[in-house]
Amino acid sequence: MSLVIKNLTKQYNKHKTGLSDYSITIDKGILGLLGPNGAGKSTLMKIIATISKPTAGSLFLDGEDIVNNPDKIRKILGYLPQDFGVYPNLNAYEFLEYIAALKGVGGSSLRKRIDMLLDGVNLTADANRPIGTYSGGMKQRIGIAQALLNDPKVLIFDEPTVGLDPEERVRFRQLISDLANDCIIILSSHIVSDIEAIADEVAIMQNGTLLEKGMQPDIIKLVEGKVFETILSSNDLAVLKTKHLVIDTSRQKELTRVRYIAKGNSPEPSSVAVNATLEDAYLFLTQNKA
Amino acid sequence: MQRTRSYSFLITLAITIYGAYSFVPPPTASYTTLNIVGYKGIYNSAWVGYVSAMMTTIMLSLYGFFLVNSGIKKDIDTEVGLIIATTPITNFGYLLSKMLSNFLVLLTIAGITFTVSIAMFFLRSSGSPFVIADFIIPYLLFALPALFFISALAVVAEVFLGKRNILQYITFVFLFGIIMANVTAARNNTIAIFIDPFGVRTMTHSIMDKVNSRYHTDVKEVNLGFTFNAKHAFKTFEWNGIKWTGIFLLSRLTWIFFALGVVYFSSFFFHRFDSRQRVSRKKKSGAVVFNTETVKVSSTSINPALLPAVTADYSIFPFIKTELLLLIRKGPKWFWLINGGLWISMLIAPLDIAHAYLLPVLLFLQVTRWSDLATKEKTNRLHYFTYSSYKPLQRMLPAQLLAGVIMSLALTLPVLLRYLIISDFYSIINIVNGAVFIVLLAVCIGIISGGKKLYEILFFMLTYAVIEKVPPLDYLGGMQHDSHSGIITIVLMLNIFLGAVSFGVRSYQVRHL
Repeated sequence: MSLVIKNLTKQYNKHKTGLSDYSITIDKGILGLLGPNGAGKSTLMKIIATISKPTAGSLFLDGEDIVNNPDKIRKILGYLPQDFGVYPNLNAYEFLEYIAALKGVGGSSLRKRIDMLLDGVNLTADANRPIGTYSGGMKQRIGIAQALLNDPKVLIFDEPTVGLDPEERVRFRQLISDLANDCIIILSSHIVSDIEAIADEVAIMQNGTLLEKGMQPDIIKLVEGKVFETILSSNDLAVLKTKHLVIDTSRQKELTRVRYIAKGNSPEPSSVAVNATLEDAYLFLTQNKA
Repeated sequence: MQRTRSYSFLITLAITIYGAYSFVPPPTASYTTLNIVGYKGIYNSAWVGYVSAMMTTIMLSLYGFFLVNSGIKKDIDTEVGLIIATTPITNFGYLLSKMLSNFLVLLTIAGITFTVSIAMFFLRSSGSPFVIADFIIPYLLFALPALFFISALAVVAEVFLGKRNILQYITFVFLFGIIMANVTAARNNTIAIFIDPFGVRTMTHSIMDKVNSRYHTDVKEVNLGFTFNAKHAFKTFEWNGIKWTGIFLLSRLTWIFFALGVVYFSSFFFHRFDSRQRVSRKKKSGAVVFNTETVKVSSTSINPALLPAVTADYSIFPFIKTELLLLIRKGPKWFWLINGGLWISMLIAPLDIAHAYLLPVLLFLQVTRWSDLATKEKTNRLHYFTYSSYKPLQRMLPAQLLAGVIMSLALTLPVLLRYLIISDFYSIINIVNGAVFIVLLAVCIGIISGGKKLYEILFFMLTYAVIEKVPPLDYLGGMQHDSHSGIITIVLMLNIFLGAVSFGVRSYQVRHL
């Protein structure tokens, strides 16, 4: 199964472009989308989910044009939007039955499937309560359950870990890994560590364009040997900021521990080379192109 | 500003312009807006200016309440209220700002009718000179205090009745009825002047006095609002406005201070967005207590391989079931007692009363259910799911329409059965047509405007017109008409048009989020 995106452009108006000539091929496995706010991640996901039409370009799922034939993907789509809501008067069973009807899922096994999904997201005890009384994390979990109702082959998760506690985040990652063997999973997150822990491939976006796409080690390679740490005073830190790309700082009494990417491969004296991470590569790519 | 930046407000303005145009009917029109049987005022500045100001005051007070009564609710829904609650603003300061913003919205609309009224003077002029004061003064003295009062009422209703929209509507309509009864009452003493928030009874009595002195007659009644079938011989008279008295001016000021006073009083009861407090009060009285965060009881995860196989089912019946469930659960449960009472009344009341009054009222009482039909996905942010579902246009929208129609037909059932017994099939078709019409109107306006407000106002005005026996708006066919089939055809054509627009616009929306 593969999703081929060719020269996709989404122009909202004269001044606002969501995506610009964007091309990418997505195969089975987990693709993590990384990018700052306004990079076009949500726009791309909405277009794949068929709720937004591109201004130009094409999208093919196993050779089938889904811009002109959206129902082809809708049957096998699981979508968790970033800012979704619920009908507060329905309980979890009623809500999931409704979503199942939207997805064209029914039959005698539906109730059992809903039971298992609710159990899997720890909502069985609250399943008979109106969803309007749920906390943010509980709503997010029911969002995850609805995405899996129709045995999806294409799963789109837009900021799925928002509102989940650390334990739930770990369980979510586990779930995604289990699903990845059989389908295409596209996942966006602001939390680089989530993407780092889950995604096979990473696509880094900015201003509606694709900066880089590849397996994690290949992307990290872009900054290998360039990441250093040192301890500086505040004044020295200000000077360092003018010369290098500062990734992170942490206070240590009067001094500051600084993690930075050396520009031109010439680190500051007394710096120690450290292992590069995906976050380093992400910041290197996005801030260099900004 | 935030409230005026919406499609529904633009549509409201367009309707307002048409309304203002109709406030000053041509002499040949089949209706009047200020009717003294057998007499008509000459279209001079005073007549056009005062009648327009009077109509604006009454009509805008009536539908203006519906237009502005959700300022606090919006702050709750958007959670801006939580930020406001942490600022130093006092309860009174906040409610006053809401009241003033309500007032500005209504003032904008009044400004438009004012401008149109001047244009109408030149359009309908009888050659009398144009006197700008005849337009400015009645708007200042009738409309402004009345709209100020309505703006305050909207805030007070939100403070005391919260999100219970339908209760707010009922209370307001009841209050409006009392006010209008006083406005049209015969007596004109000081107390009567003081308890008229619109101030227009002074004007109607001045007009009656003029007619009575000019023709030595004893006219005791002036009908306000749209009165149809007024085509008959009439005598004309020239009326040049009101001589303002100190008592009248004081009464107008009193209403402004009264409006401020009720807002100040309500500020002591304002929840300041402390919803948790309100929930906890409920908990004490209720039997069921929920924790806001559930204790985790399961450590199992989802194993996709163990989930039962998926069975395809593309029928729309599950949607209809859910849509019906949502329709029924909307609003407080006890409200079904009122619905039930009216439903039973339609079985036993005289059939013409049941058809012409009880049925439109019962249908209107469900206004918050109808207005929610095609807007709830967006207001609840579920449209991501519905728009990306399999064939949303062929399944989702028809299910919403069908659920709405099933409910509206169920509500009309007593009247339908009684007409069936007497084999009055014209009335049956009229009622079915009308029941479909209100659902299609709700869906169409909801889809186009993206909100509920516009439909709620229109449906209220429509119901008001039906109760007041305005024949062109008789969507349920409860009045006498020259041709029954004519009204059936018109409503049917409207239904087809509304359905086509709903499907057309929604077809665009599902692919353009």
